[in-house]
Amino acid sequence: MLPTNTHILFHEFDYHAPTTLYEATELLAQYGDSARPIAGGTDLLVQMKMERRQPAHVISLARVNALQGIALNGDLTIGATTSIRDLHQYLTSKLQPPFASLQSLGEACNGFSTIQIMRMATLGGNLCNASPASDSAPPLLTFDARVTLKSKTFERVMALEHFFIAPGKTALQADELLTHIRIPRPPHQSASAFIKIARVAADISQVCAAVRLTRDGNLIHDARIALGSVAPTPVRAAAAERELIGQTFSAALAEKIGKRAAQEIQPISDIRATRAYRQHIAAVIVRDALLRAWERTQ
Amino acid sequence: MHKKTIHLTLNGEAREWSVYPNELLLNVLREQEYLTGTKYGCGIGECGACTLHLDGAPTLSCLTLAIACDGADILTIEGLARDGKLDATQQAFLEHSAFQCGFCTSDMIMMTRALLNENAQPSEAQVRDYLRGNLCRCTGYASIVRAALDAAALEKQRAEPSAAS
Amino acid sequence: MNYQILGNNYQRKDGIGKVTGSETYTSDVILPRMWHARVLRSPYAHARIISIDQTAAKALGAVVLTYADVPHLKYNERIVSIPPHLFRDRTVLADKARHVGEAVAAVAAPTEQLAEKALRALKIEWEILPHYTDPADAQSENAEPIHDAVLLNGEMKPIENNVAVARTVNVGNVDEGFEHADFIFEREYLTSRIYHAQMETKSCVCDPASDGSITVYPTTQSIHNTRQLLGEIFNIPLHKVNVKRVAIGGTFGSSIQMNSIIPICVALALKAKHPVKLVSTREEDMYDHVRYQTKLKLKIGVTRDGKITAGHIQALADVGGHNIQAYALLSVLAGWSASLYKFPHLRFEGKAVYTNKTPSCAMQGFGNPQATFAMESLTDEIAHELELDPIEFKLKNYVGLGGTFWGQGPSVQSIIRSDGVPQLLHDGAQKIGWRARPKAGTQTGRYRHGIGMARGFHTSGAGAPKPGEVIDYSGAFIKINEDGTVDVVHAMMDHGGGTLEAIAKIVAEELGVPIENVGISPADTLTTVYDVVTHATRGVYAGGGAAHKAALKVKQQIFEYASRVLELQADSLVIEPDYELRQGVIYCPNFPERRITLGALAKQLQINSWGTMAAVESLRQVNCPPAFVTYFIDLTVDTETGHVTTNRAVIGSDCGTVVNPAMAIGQLEGGLSKGVGYALVEDNQWDAQTGQLTSKGFWIDGKTPAISEAPFNENIITHFSDTYEPSGPFGAKGIGEAATNPCAAAYANALYNALGIRFTELPITAEKILRALNAEENREARVEMREMEAMAVMQAAE
Ligand SMILES: Cc1cc2nc3c(=O)[nH]c(=O)nc-3n(C[C@H](O)[C@H](O)[C@H](O)COP(=O)(O)OP(=O)(O)OC[C@H]3O[C@@H](n4cnc5c(N)ncnc54)[C@H](O)[C@@H]3O)c2cc1C
Ligand code: FES
Ligand code: FES
Repeated sequence: MLPTNTHILFHEFDYHAPTTLYEATELLAQYGDSARPIAGGTDLLVQMKMERRQPAHVISLARVNALQGIALNGDLTIGATTSIRDLHQYLTSKLQPPFASLQSLGEACNGFSTIQIMRMATLGGNLCNASPASDSAPPLLTFDARVTLKSKTFERVMALEHFFIAPGKTALQADELLTHIRIPRPPHQSASAFIKIARVAADISQVCAAVRLTRDGNLIHDARIALGSVAPTPVRAAAAERELIGQTFSAALAEKIGKRAAQEIQPISDIRATRAYRQHIAAVIVRDALLRAWERTQ
Repeated sequence: MHKKTIHLTLNGEAREWSVYPNELLLNVLREQEYLTGTKYGCGIGECGACTLHLDGAPTLSCLTLAIACDGADILTIEGLARDGKLDATQQAFLEHSAFQCGFCTSDMIMMTRALLNENAQPSEAQVRDYLRGNLCRCTGYASIVRAALDAAALEKQRAEPSAAS
Repeated sequence: MNYQILGNNYQRKDGIGKVTGSETYTSDVILPRMWHARVLRSPYAHARIISIDQTAAKALGAVVLTYADVPHLKYNERIVSIPPHLFRDRTVLADKARHVGEAVAAVAAPTEQLAEKALRALKIEWEILPHYTDPADAQSENAEPIHDAVLLNGEMKPIENNVAVARTVNVGNVDEGFEHADFIFEREYLTSRIYHAQMETKSCVCDPASDGSITVYPTTQSIHNTRQLLGEIFNIPLHKVNVKRVAIGGTFGSSIQMNSIIPICVALALKAKHPVKLVSTREEDMYDHVRYQTKLKLKIGVTRDGKITAGHIQALADVGGHNIQAYALLSVLAGWSASLYKFPHLRFEGKAVYTNKTPSCAMQGFGNPQATFAMESLTDEIAHELELDPIEFKLKNYVGLGGTFWGQGPSVQSIIRSDGVPQLLHDGAQKIGWRARPKAGTQTGRYRHGIGMARGFHTSGAGAPKPGEVIDYSGAFIKINEDGTVDVVHAMMDHGGGTLEAIAKIVAEELGVPIENVGISPADTLTTVYDVVTHATRGVYAGGGAAHKAALKVKQQIFEYASRVLELQADSLVIEPDYELRQGVIYCPNFPERRITLGALAKQLQINSWGTMAAVESLRQVNCPPAFVTYFIDLTVDTETGHVTTNRAVIGSDCGTVVNPAMAIGQLEGGLSKGVGYALVEDNQWDAQTGQLTSKGFWIDGKTPAISEAPFNENIITHFSDTYEPSGPFGAKGIGEAATNPCAAAYANALYNALGIRFTELPITAEKILRALNAEENREARVEMREMEAMAVMQAAE
C-alpha cells in the first residue's frame, strides 16, 4: 500500500501528561524505547501520521512547568518547551547588550515557515528532532550554546555541537529529556546574523547560515559560522572561522570566507535543492550574513 | 489504548469529551461536534486550513491531539459571531468578497482575528507576515489583505461611539 | 451602457455561509448511519493484480470491493467530448495499476479508523511490470503496453506504442509558407506537470435508498454528467440517480467531471447499504490529477518586415496512466497556439502518450497556459531579433476584430466580435512604463530589473454554429414567486468565481427587480435541466446566456399578465427595480401612475388562479468569443541567489461587460498567483525508479504560492477594456481561465529583458536561473579567453 498521511492518526498509543519533571523522567525510565516525549508535536505527530515513528507511549511535556520559560541569570537559559514564537518575542523586545547581540536567533525564529508552527513548535523539539534543516540550531551553534539533559537519576550538560549525531539522532538516551538550552553571556562588541534560503517563503530551508562576529576595532576578534541543510547535522565551518580571526574586516574578505565555508560543507542533492545550488548559495549567504553581522557590531 | 474524559470550553460553552489518545482535535470537532467550519487541507501543517484558536492563540488542529486539550479554551469560526452579529473580520471579508470557493475563509478569518488580537492596527507587511502559512488557491491573496486591513479599521470604528449618533 | 445592477458590487449571496463556516462542502456532509471509506492505492507504477485476500478485512466488519466486485464497463470521467472522440480506458477499480496511486480496492466501515484497519488487512499479490515515466521510453519499440485497447464509440480500439492519440491539422501549405520567409525561428518549450492544489481534496458522499435510487454529494464541476455516468456504470435509470450541487473547495479543472473516487464511493454505498463518505487524503489527491505536461516545438517563418508566413507546431503531451481528454487537448493546443496570430499556412502535429504517472487532466486554461507560454515567448524573441517592439509585432500579425478564432481547436470556430486587445496593450504599456524598459542583456551587478509582456486569451465556452466535437449547452428554469421574488434554478456549478452570482445579476437586470429578490435555488439533477459543465470559462457567457433567455420569456409573461391587470398594452410596459418598495415595478412610461409591483401582480395571478409566471429554457451559444488578457510584469532578479521579486504586475482584461467588478478583479489577482507559481516555482517530479512522487505527499514540495509570493497590493494593477460582446448576455463574456494564461510567458520575457537569457522550460526556478547565468558567464568567459588567446597569438606573431 502507498504510505500515506491520512485524515486520522491511525497509530495507537497511550498518552501521559505528567506535571513535574520527576514524573516525566520516571515515565521515560519506565517505558524506555517504547516512549516518546511530545512537546509541540509539529514534528512528532507528522512522523507518527506518516508512520516513521510509532511510540507505544506518548509523554506530553506541555504541563511540566519546569521546562518552560526564559531566564537571564548570567547566561540566557531557555526552557526546552519554550515556543519558537515566545522566544522570538523575547529576543526582539527584551534584550539589552550584550544579549542584544543574539539577533540571529530572533531572525531564525521568525524564519520558521508559519506563525502557527512558530507558536506550536518548541525550541527543544527543534533540537531534539535533529533535522539538518533546523533553523534554530545554526545560531545556537555560533553562540556556543549548551544543552542540559536529564534522566530520572542523572543530569549532564554538553555543548550543542556534540548533541547532534545524525539526521533524527541526538546524544539523548531513551530515558533523558532535554530540559534547558543555555547561551553563555556573549562577548561585548559582538553581533550576529542569520539568513535562510528556501524555494518559497513558507518552507524549510534549502540552506541557512548563521554567523557571529566579535570585533576589536577594525579587527575581527572572534568569529563563528554555522550552516543548516548542508550536512547530516547542522555544522560549523571551522576552517572559514579560523581564517577570519585576527583579520581586518572587508567586503572582499567576506566574499572569500563565504567561498571558503562553501568548500567545507558536503551537501546532498534532494527534492529541495541540488548539491551545486546549495554550495553556491552557502557562499552567498555566509558572505551576506558576515556583512550584516559586521555592520551590526558598529 | 483507552478513552479518557476531558473537559474544555468550546466556543464559550462547557464541553465534556471522551476521546482516544490518537484522536485529532480537527476530527473531533468536525465529526463529534459537527463543527465543520474548520477544514482538513493536508493534515500535516502545510496549509493552515485547520486553524482555530486554542487558549487564544492560532493553532493547527490537524496537529493537535484532542486529549491534550483538557482544560483548554477553544474558539472556532462558528464561535466568532456574537449575538448574531458578525465579527469585524467576518464583516470585512464579506464586504470585500475576500473569498472565492471559501474553503480557506474560516482559516483566513481565524488568523486575521488572532492578528488583530495582538496588533489592532497592522500594516500590510504585518498582515502578510502573519498569514504566510495559510494557503488560498483562488484569490491570489490581494482581497484577503484588503479585508484584513479593513477589519482593523472596522473594529476601531465599532469600538468608538459613532460621532453621528 | 447603463445598467441597474450589472457592474455594481453586492455582498455575495453565499457570503454569510462562507464567513461563518456554515457553508457545506462535500467533505462536510454528515448523514445518519454514515460509514467511512478508504481506498487501497497501488504502490507500484505498473503492476497487475494476481489476487487479493479479503478475509481478514471482512472479519473486521468492513465492506470490501475489488475489481471483481464492481462493474467492468470502461468509462472516461469527462463526457464533454462526443462519443466518437471519447476514449474510455478506466474502470471503477483497476485490475492493473497503471500509475502509483491507482485505486485497486476499497473498503467502508463505521469509522475511518476501522476502515483504515480493514484496508491494511487486505493482502495483494502483484505481478510487477516495467514502467515508464518518460513518454520517449513509453513509445520505444518493445515497451510494455500500458493499455492494450480502449473503448471508443462502442468498439475496442487497439493502442500501439502507448500512443493514446495523435492528431494533425493542416491549413494551406506550410512548405510554401516557409519558402516565403526571410527568417525561420525554431524553439522547443517544455512545461511542468503541476498539481491543481485545490484546497478541498476530492470527496464524495453517497446515500443509497431502499428502492435502488442513490443521492450523491460529489466534488464536481458538472452534476448532470456525473449523474449520467453513474447511471451508465451502475445501470440505474437516471430518475433514480440524484446528484446534488454542494459547494466545492476549489477545482481548477481537477473535478472537471466525475472524479474517479465518485463511482468507488457509490459502489461501496450500494454494497454497504449505508451512506458512505469518501474524502481523499492530500497525498491521494496529488496522485489523482495533474496539468498536462507538454513539449511544444514551434517553427515560425517571418518576413524581414515582421509578417508571419507559416507556422509548424509539434506537440507531445504526457497523458499519464489514463486518457481523460488527450484528444481534446491536442485540438485545443492547435487552437490556442494559432488563434491570435494570422498564419497563412499552418501545420500542427500532436501526439499524446501514455506513461505510468498520475493522469493528466484539464487545469485552468486546458492547454492554453502551455501553448501561450510557448507562443508568447517565441513571438517576443522574434520581435526582438527583428528589432521590432513585441507589441507592434503582435498587433501586426493579430487576427483581430472580424477574424476567425479557434475556440476549442479547429472544430469550434467563431468570429471575434469584440476586441479589447489594442486598448489593453496600449493601457498596460503605459501603466508599466514599457518604453522605459531596460535594453535586454545590458545590465550588470547583483540585482537586475526587467519588464516583459505577454498576451493571452481563453474561449468563452465551446459554442459554435454547428455541433462540434464538444457538447456545449446550458439550461435554466426561472419562476416568479407570489411575493415578487424570483427563483433561479440552474444546474451550473460555481467554483467560487461568482458564476451563480453573475447569473442572478443577469436575471435581476433583465427582469428589473432588485438583486436581493433573486434567489439561487439549491440544485440537483432531479430539479434542473441539463447544463454540460462549468469549464472553458463558459459560466457567465453560456450559463448566464441560458438564464437570460429564460428571463426574457418570463418577462414577456409578466407584461402579458400586467397588461390584463393594468389594462394597458403589453408592449408599452416596462419594469424597473424600486428600491424603496424593494420590488420590481411594472408601469407604462406614458401613464406612470398606473403601476403594479411584481409581487402584487404575482399575488393577483394566484388569487385569480391564472397560474405561475415561469419559464425553462436551454441554450447553445453559437459563438465562443475569446476573453482576452494582457500581462505586463516588472521584476528584479537577484543574480546571486536566482530569486525573482515581482515589483509590479499590470493585468488587463477584456471580458466584455464587467458583471461583477470585485469578482472580476479577484479572478485576475487569483490568476496572477497561480501564474507566478506556474512560471517560477511549482513542479512535480516522479522518481523514475519507483514511479512515486518525489514529494512523498508533502504539499510544500509542490510549492503552491502562498501570500509571500504575491506582490503587495498596490503593485497589482488591474484594468479593463470598454468592450461589449454582441453575442453575450448584456455584452458579457468570460474571464476566469484567461486570467493565468499569459503569465508564465510574461515572466519569461521579463527575465530575458533583465538577463538577456531566454528560458524555455517551466518552472523557471532560482536554480535554473543561476545555472543559466553561470553557463552564460562561462560562455562569455570562453569567448573572452578565445579573444585573449587570439590577441596573444597575434602579439606573438608580431
Ligand atoms: C508545516 C511545518 C513547517 C515547519 N517549518 C519549519 C521551519 O521553517 N524551520 C524549522 O526549523 N522547523 C520547521 N518545522 C519542524 C518543526 O516545527 C520544528 O522542528 C519544531 O521546533 C519541533 O518542535 P516541537 O515542539 O513541535 O517538537 P515535537 O514534534 O514535539 O518533538 C520533536 C522530537 O523531539 C522530541 N522532543 C521534543 N522535546 C523534547 C525534550 N524536551 N526532550 C527530549 N526529546 C524531546 C520528540 O520526542 C520528537 O522526537 C516545520 C514543521 C511543519 C509541520
Ligand atoms: S489541515 Fe492542518 S495545516 Fe493543513
Ligand atoms: S477562496 Fe478558495 S482557497 Fe481561498
